[in-house]
Amino acid sequence: MLNFSSFVQKAQQLLDPVQGLNLSESDRNPSKASLFQSQFRLPSSQHPLYEITAELTIPPANATQGDRDRDRGHQYAGKLHLSEAFLCFSTTPSSFLQSATTTTSSIFTGQTHGGGPGGNGFTFPLCSIRRVERLHSQNFQFALSLSTWNGISQDAAKEKDKKELREQRVTLQLAGNRQACERFCDGLKKGLRANVGMVAKLKKVTSECYSEYLLRPEDKKNAAPPDAGLGMLFKYPGDPKKLRDRAKMRLWAEYLRDNGRNTTLIRQPTFHKLIRVGLPNRLRGEMWELTSGSIYLRLESPTLYADTLAKFSGQESLAIDEIEKDLNRSLPEYPGFQSEEGIGRLRRVLTAYSWVNADVGYCQAMNIVVAALLIYMSEAQAFFLLSTLCDRLVPGYYSTTMYGTLLDQKVFESLVEKTMPILWEHLVKSDVQLSVVSLPWFLSLYINSMPLVFAFRVLDVFFVEGPKVLFQVGLAILRINGEELLDATDDGAFISVLKSYFARLDESAHPKSENPKLRAVTKFQELMVVAFKEFSGITHSSITELRLKNKDAVLSNIENFAKRTAIRNLGPDSKLLSNDELGALYDRFYTVLYERQQRDHIIKQEQARRNKNSRSRIAEASEGDNVEKGRVGLGPSTSLMDYDAFREFLAGMCKWAISDAPSTPQRDAFAEKDKGFYGSFRRADTVLSPWGAGPEPAEHEFLQRLFQKWDTDASSALTLQKVVSGLAGIKGKRDIMGAINYFFELHDDNGDGKVDREGILRMSEALLFLSRRGLEGTLSPSNSSVALGGENANGTQGDVQPVSERFLGSVSAFIRRCFEYADPDHPKNQDHSVREVQQKSESTLLDEPAGEELANPDAFAIGDDDDEDDDEDEDDEDDLLAMDSPTGSPKTAAKKFGNSPPTLQLNSTELTPGADVDTRRRVSKAQSEKANIALDPSNPLHITLPTFRMVVLADELLEQFFETSFPASFHIIEGLTTTPTSASSLTTFSSLGIGAGRAVNAALGTGQGTPGGGPAGGAGRGLRGVLDNIVTDGMRVAAEVRRRMEEAQKELEKNALPETQQQQRGAGAGGDDEEEDEDEDGGFDRASTRSGKGGGAAYRGDAERRSVRSSDRDLLTGADAEASDVALAGVGDGVEGGAASGAGSSSVNTAGGGGGGTGKVVGVEFDG
Amino acid sequence: MADSNAPKPSSSVKLVLLGEAAVGKSSLVLRFVNNDFQENKEPTIGAAFLTQKCNLPTRTIKFEIWDTAGQERFASLAPMYYRNAQAALVVYDLTKPTSLIKAKHWVAELQRQASPGIVIALVGNKLDLTNDGAGNGGDVDAGGEDSGDARKITTEEAKTYAEEESLLFFETSAKTGYNVTEVFTAIANAIPETSLKTARGPGASHAANRTEEQRVNLNGPRDPSAKEGCAC
Repeated sequence: MLNFSSFVQKAQQLLDPVQGLNLSESDRNPSKASLFQSQFRLPSSQHPLYEITAELTIPPANATQGDRDRDRGHQYAGKLHLSEAFLCFSTTPSSFLQSATTTTSSIFTGQTHGGGPGGNGFTFPLCSIRRVERLHSQNFQFALSLSTWNGISQDAAKEKDKKELREQRVTLQLAGNRQACERFCDGLKKGLRANVGMVAKLKKVTSECYSEYLLRPEDKKNAAPPDAGLGMLFKYPGDPKKLRDRAKMRLWAEYLRDNGRNTTLIRQPTFHKLIRVGLPNRLRGEMWELTSGSIYLRLESPTLYADTLAKFSGQESLAIDEIEKDLNRSLPEYPGFQSEEGIGRLRRVLTAYSWVNADVGYCQAMNIVVAALLIYMSEAQAFFLLSTLCDRLVPGYYSTTMYGTLLDQKVFESLVEKTMPILWEHLVKSDVQLSVVSLPWFLSLYINSMPLVFAFRVLDVFFVEGPKVLFQVGLAILRINGEELLDATDDGAFISVLKSYFARLDESAHPKSENPKLRAVTKFQELMVVAFKEFSGITHSSITELRLKNKDAVLSNIENFAKRTAIRNLGPDSKLLSNDELGALYDRFYTVLYERQQRDHIIKQEQARRNKNSRSRIAEASEGDNVEKGRVGLGPSTSLMDYDAFREFLAGMCKWAISDAPSTPQRDAFAEKDKGFYGSFRRADTVLSPWGAGPEPAEHEFLQRLFQKWDTDASSALTLQKVVSGLAGIKGKRDIMGAINYFFELHDDNGDGKVDREGILRMSEALLFLSRRGLEGTLSPSNSSVALGGENANGTQGDVQPVSERFLGSVSAFIRRCFEYADPDHPKNQDHSVREVQQKSESTLLDEPAGEELANPDAFAIGDDDDEDDDEDEDDEDDLLAMDSPTGSPKTAAKKFGNSPPTLQLNSTELTPGADVDTRRRVSKAQSEKANIALDPSNPLHITLPTFRMVVLADELLEQFFETSFPASFHIIEGLTTTPTSASSLTTFSSLGIGAGRAVNAALGTGQGTPGGGPAGGAGRGLRGVLDNIVTDGMRVAAEVRRRMEEAQKELEKNALPETQQQQRGAGAGGDDEEEDEDEDGGFDRASTRSGKGGGAAYRGDAERRSVRSSDRDLLTGADAEASDVALAGVGDGVEGGAASGAGSSSVNTAGGGGGGTGKVVGVEFDG
Repeated sequence: MADSNAPKPSSSVKLVLLGEAAVGKSSLVLRFVNNDFQENKEPTIGAAFLTQKCNLPTRTIKFEIWDTAGQERFASLAPMYYRNAQAALVVYDLTKPTSLIKAKHWVAELQRQASPGIVIALVGNKLDLTNDGAGNGGDVDAGGEDSGDARKITTEEAKTYAEEESLLFFETSAKTGYNVTEVFTAIANAIPETSLKTARGPGASHAANRTEEQRVNLNGPRDPSAKEGCAC
């Protein structure tokens, strides 16, 4: 059985070997851009464009700041980076230039280690910069003076207010040669100009920040404060006094006054300290937004939240149902969430997010996290912060498979093992699963594990320093409780220890200490110290490394589980298939979807590269990062298979579903990967073909029908469930009647139990389509030929024919018999839709890429003569029909399809040269008359299931086809391990030319004149070519029949002459003979090569043939007359069709045949 | 610390609760363990762990209850919790047809993936929302305000299924407390004697003493006979 995850892995490598194991693009081999974005917490639209070493000088603070260095202010050496919309400075020396090594671009200092705004510096949106001046300076140095919009509201920009304002101004000394400096400045100038339009947006965004209110000018003291969360209405959790909220607020006000607020804030060492001691309630939301970088998302699309709500207002979804269930139980102990106000906010934020990120939707625990956020921030702020959480801070935590959560549990476990080996050993020995306790910590960011006030303190640090904080805190908890945990020997005891610890976080860590200072230290403070001091070695990069290491195991666990569950829940139909089959189907289904998404992703990236301008916002942030989108373990973004994917899916396991187009790379994706060839394929290759490395799937009406049939609710998409049910219908029943019924239903468009004329033709087309690469399953080769032998005493058929070849005969006979036994419709019932359908399908056919070689018109004689009216009685007719009649000399091994629409004269036979053209004509005329009866659209007919069944069972080969071959053609488990046959080895009716060589071509080209050469040549050159031709020709015939039906209809409309019809009804007895002769003449061909072989199968029941009658009556003279024209037209079509489909050499033959000029022979090729 | 007044043999049984979100898994446990009910119970994140003992006439069963999260996407975590479980409570909501389908999925999963011989009880919760709920409710204020019958799954339907799969079957109301204890008692009685292990050693009970949870310690001889009577 195939292993899905190994596919996926290989598929990844196929796409990009370097990325084989990446969690996302930005991990193992992160791009400079993603490092840059993550260091400054910028949206994914930002790229490092320019950078330069610089020195930042922050002017001395206000006079009140006596303790600062008044003369020089603060100076920091670092790097200045410019992106499309941001100017960032950091004392971290990392470089994001293309030329920089990965090491230099991932050098991190400070607490964040690249996981957040590290070091000192700033992240200014360009639109927040009000003015840039170049300062005159000594030493040829470049110095820029930057002033910002900090504290300057639009109306305050007036002169008189300005005096009161302390304009924020910093100086940057660029270090570098003149060129480099100028280049940077040019870039900056351009950027500033481009971002001027954003200023208004910025003002709107910052106006929602509490700092603007906190630092508001005197004259606005009465302004209403911006929304700083539910806490303003329902009080913030905790005792403000105990939290020393006022003191914190004062400190922050001072810091912000000196260093800029919200977007213009400059990070100095005090900033990080202030965060560590805990944020004041009203600034908490804003600082979370700022440090996490979600404010930049809000800046990019300030109205996204409101727009999303408006856009989806009133719509329903599964996520919404799930959200509703949890609204009343999210932090229910907080009064705000016992009110409609709080619940309403929670509902809106969760709902809006479930719309913008439908892949995640809603996950329990998000309600708790968002509820916590909403205590401190507005809805829009919480919305963007949630987005930052899901995409950047805790990726995959809330996805449908929660792979991020599970992965981080593994990472956490390995950290425990490494840092606390004794405890770890104890856990293993006691069979305690650590993640049972720790999983909720991570998933809800400690919010419902610790008392809220402490959880928020953890969050304060988490938003600046990133996910590693969760690990540090978790490890510290275990370390502090280590002794007691070592006493716990089961899950219950283990949990109890920790529960009681959390409940006493506010107590003194050292209650018995003599030292009052030590006594004052709470358990929570102790926890923070242990977390950040003792576990300071846990960094962003060490976490990343461990994630990469554990990722595959975690994903394949999830995938195995998902697979097991999915298979188990497939419903009763799935019982018809074996477990192995179901497993393989599951793998195939998701592999196809996954690979298609990968290709799609790459193609899109290509496009994006081309038109760089178009960048969307949040959505892209997630998409851009997740190269593995679609992998089951990550939460497949789709589990629906569209029609194209369906074709690809079938092409992986059915020979017949592979296109015949010569351009198809003849490789089988599965086989190939198993052999390990993937390494040699580059991304480029894969991109070239929309089908990836796999074979190009065929397009055929049969596939569409199958798709529709399986798509039981007509949603144009298949779920795994539908695929399984569909396949169970074919493979599962394991009885022939089931298969026959299935096939019939497939063609019973309106489900009325009848298949009309058109449908019969389609059935035969489908049969040919399915068999063109040969039949599979157990076929008894002898039977039909024995039967044939009996009929054709002459012995040309002594040899056992290849099954595929005989199958063509069977199909021919099938059509004939269907028409023989068809029931007439009541005229009134006739529906014009038939014709419409047929036209439609015809055009489809022409469009199809599949065509192989051009049809060789000679393959079929569609007789048309208008001059003869032989009167015949039914017996004659029967004789006529009896192609295999003994009269048939050896020459006559022809397969004919009596009054089948006739026209299906596969002139299979004879090598006998010497064709009498006249005879031929006569015969063909008779044929066409009959044909026309069958074709006459005014004379509708249909077959019912019993008829169909009878017809199928009448032919041994068809019977076997339905019994074994068709079901067996779905190689669910093993796939197609052999290279699919190339076009040239198809079993088709198409020209001999390919297989049989020139001689034959020549013979064909010249028409019936020299058919004699054919057989020998053909035989000599190999049967293959012959076989090729057979099927194609059959298909061609069917198409021609269709064409003729239309013609006939036209003619009918023009001048319907009932009497003529009568006359024509019976073709002359002589005609039969002639017909045979004709065949001989026609003898030409390849047909002859296959000669008797094919012929026989078709001709078993004479009796059947005799029964044909009434329906034959209405031959249309006119139609006959038309026929020759039609024939010519047909040739034309054949050529076109062939050309369109890029078919090869055979087109020559087709043309030749047409030119051969009997005009009777037509080949229209349709889908191979 | 060992209870000297418990001469009866005691064993711990790991029990896991599974079922769709918001069918009342946690509420059933809360009723069983604390005889309490909360209208708006926070959704379980991951899983919650509680213990409760159940006194049978001849022995004491200490349930170690793993209450799991119900949302679909948490399903992949479930194996972590039902690992080694000797009993499972698969809960559905009498008023929600989809929850029974989900319950069936869980039963199928348990039958294939969990320890062989696991005792499974199918429990239809929220009986207080149906007409028969009010009358039968053992506790006081059964859903009197809901005069309408919100039942969507008939007793017969669920019962038939339970019989086919050889499951214990109950309809309960965590809100009124109706039938809740009975479920656990029935499970306690159904646990085959052979699969019972003695409670863990003194270390466990030492730790347990820190919690309010009741724990019983015992290493006495086992009494093979098990009868009704769960005193909780």
